[in-house]
Amino acid sequence: MSIAAIVLVAVATILIGAFGIRMSRTTSDFYVASRTVSPLWNASAIGGEYLSAASFLGIAGLLITYGADMLWLPVGWTGGYLVLLVLVSAPLRRSGAYTLPDFAEARLESMAVRRVSSVLVVLIGWFYLMPQFQSAGLVLRTITGAPEWAGGLVVAGVVAANVLSGGMRSITFVQAFQYWLKLTALAVPLVFMLLAWRSDGFPGLPPGDPWALPLHGREHPLYETYSLILATFLGTMGLPHVLVRFYTNPDGRAARRTTLVVLTLLGAFYLMPAIYGYLGRVYGLPATDTVVLSLPGHLVGGMGGDLLTALITAGAFAAFLSTSSGLTVSVAGVIAQDMLRGGVRSFRVATVLAVVVPFALAGMSRSMPVATVVGLAFAVAASSFCPLLVLGIWWRRLTTIGAMAGLLIGGGLACAAVLATITGGPDTGWAGALLSQPAAWTVPVAFAVMVVVSLLTPSRVPPGVARTMVRLHTPETLNVDRGDWRPRSV
Amino acid sequence: MTVQHDSSVYEDIQSSAQFQELRRRYRSWAFPMTVAFLAWYLLYVVLSGFARGFMGTKLFGEINVALVFGVLQFVSTFLIAWAYSRHAAKKLDPLADELRGQVEEKSR
Repeated sequence: MSIAAIVLVAVATILIGAFGIRMSRTTSDFYVASRTVSPLWNASAIGGEYLSAASFLGIAGLLITYGADMLWLPVGWTGGYLVLLVLVSAPLRRSGAYTLPDFAEARLESMAVRRVSSVLVVLIGWFYLMPQFQSAGLVLRTITGAPEWAGGLVVAGVVAANVLSGGMRSITFVQAFQYWLKLTALAVPLVFMLLAWRSDGFPGLPPGDPWALPLHGREHPLYETYSLILATFLGTMGLPHVLVRFYTNPDGRAARRTTLVVLTLLGAFYLMPAIYGYLGRVYGLPATDTVVLSLPGHLVGGMGGDLLTALITAGAFAAFLSTSSGLTVSVAGVIAQDMLRGGVRSFRVATVLAVVVPFALAGMSRSMPVATVVGLAFAVAASSFCPLLVLGIWWRRLTTIGAMAGLLIGGGLACAAVLATITGGPDTGWAGALLSQPAAWTVPVAFAVMVVVSLLTPSRVPPGVARTMVRLHTPETLNVDRGDWRPRSV
Repeated sequence: MTVQHDSSVYEDIQSSAQFQELRRRYRSWAFPMTVAFLAWYLLYVVLSGFARGFMGTKLFGEINVALVFGVLQFVSTFLIAWAYSRHAAKKLDPLADELRGQVEEKSR
């Protein structure tokens, strides 16, 4: 039954994608089509794209092990949108840049900085895609006993087919649908499980269980918590698939309203994995990424349990497919435009590259909790694009060399820590903590390098900075010439 | 469509009192607010580290202060975003409209 659910979600995704091709074909349609869409619809689409395997499966597993501390993951993933809204979104919209490399080029007037940004976007995308494929493998193995690579292959194949056919590009509708599917897939089983919990007489935690107490269970909980907060709050703005969605609003006012709805939708969603984690702990289930899948069978059992498991499986695959599609479009766009020659053929090659590399990575790296690995992608984004965006928007004296040095050193250090962690670096002691949660040191290093190097190279302030700043900070209703820079289309 | 102006328009905008006021209003809200909400989140961590007894106080059933704080983080995130939205609509948008009116008059 669960297999039928997977097939259903995959086929529905491809079909909706295929119909979408007729509705819109060009890149600009992708950005403009949804401008006629209401904030609720648009916000659902943002939520649908954003809630990945880490949110759907990962949080509950980590909550069982580490308890209340792990609530920081959903709080941070929600709060990241707030930081993005308050500090970055309005000026970035006005810059006219659709992607992070676009912004880097427009602000710093340097192709070199643009190329470094492109490489970082691709790396972040790959780090984010890899755990999606791994989780798909885990879920399929749990349900059918298929080898671990099979589930990843299914997701990678569907995503590649969909993106190659152009289906995913325009469809706010698909993503919005995925949000409500994911919400339903967790909410309905939750109702039944809470009923079962009641008929069991509300069993609680074993006495003396420190589960609900913060800062327990890990070796350096205080450091790791700070690091997690920095990575999630500051990393969201640097994720390739998040930024582009801010253009699907007609104006700043609608963008703000959309963000409010997004925060509500994310908050509503994230309460559920927390309850799953609590129930899992109470009933003593093993703390893995598949606990969300096994919980309803454990509590409800029988035919009803099978149905609920199938529903959750459908939701999980919706999570893999929606996030992976959004990321693949962004990564493939950057590869095609900045690393290949551009045009339709390059985009096809780029799509294959965007999917195959993380699929191979998923096979090679060791298996870790999905939310932890996704957290690493956030750490890289927070240590590279967060300083670039915040300083680029708010600080006139940022220089080309300073930006470059900050991106290379901050992003480079974070990437090195990620690679060390996923290939089997130290797990224990301070070395393990510093490498598996790098944000608390890489983010300050990145900011410091950008500021210090910029101050040392004052002659390399981009010549057009005055015009760029007017462009970034003049209200967009103001009808002035904001310079002739335009993003090049794929 | 974008209207082409001669370059003096940028300097006019840049130096106009309204534009400076607009930037001041934006920054004087956004920066302190960012600091305040980061401080609020970090307060939770600090309390977890140094006031464990307080955070572990049970309020009802197994719900302790720490969990209530955790849920409040979501609520506060939403409230700040709502406050920003209101601030922008009340204080920033009217000024922006005023500025637009002036520039359009000048370039006519």
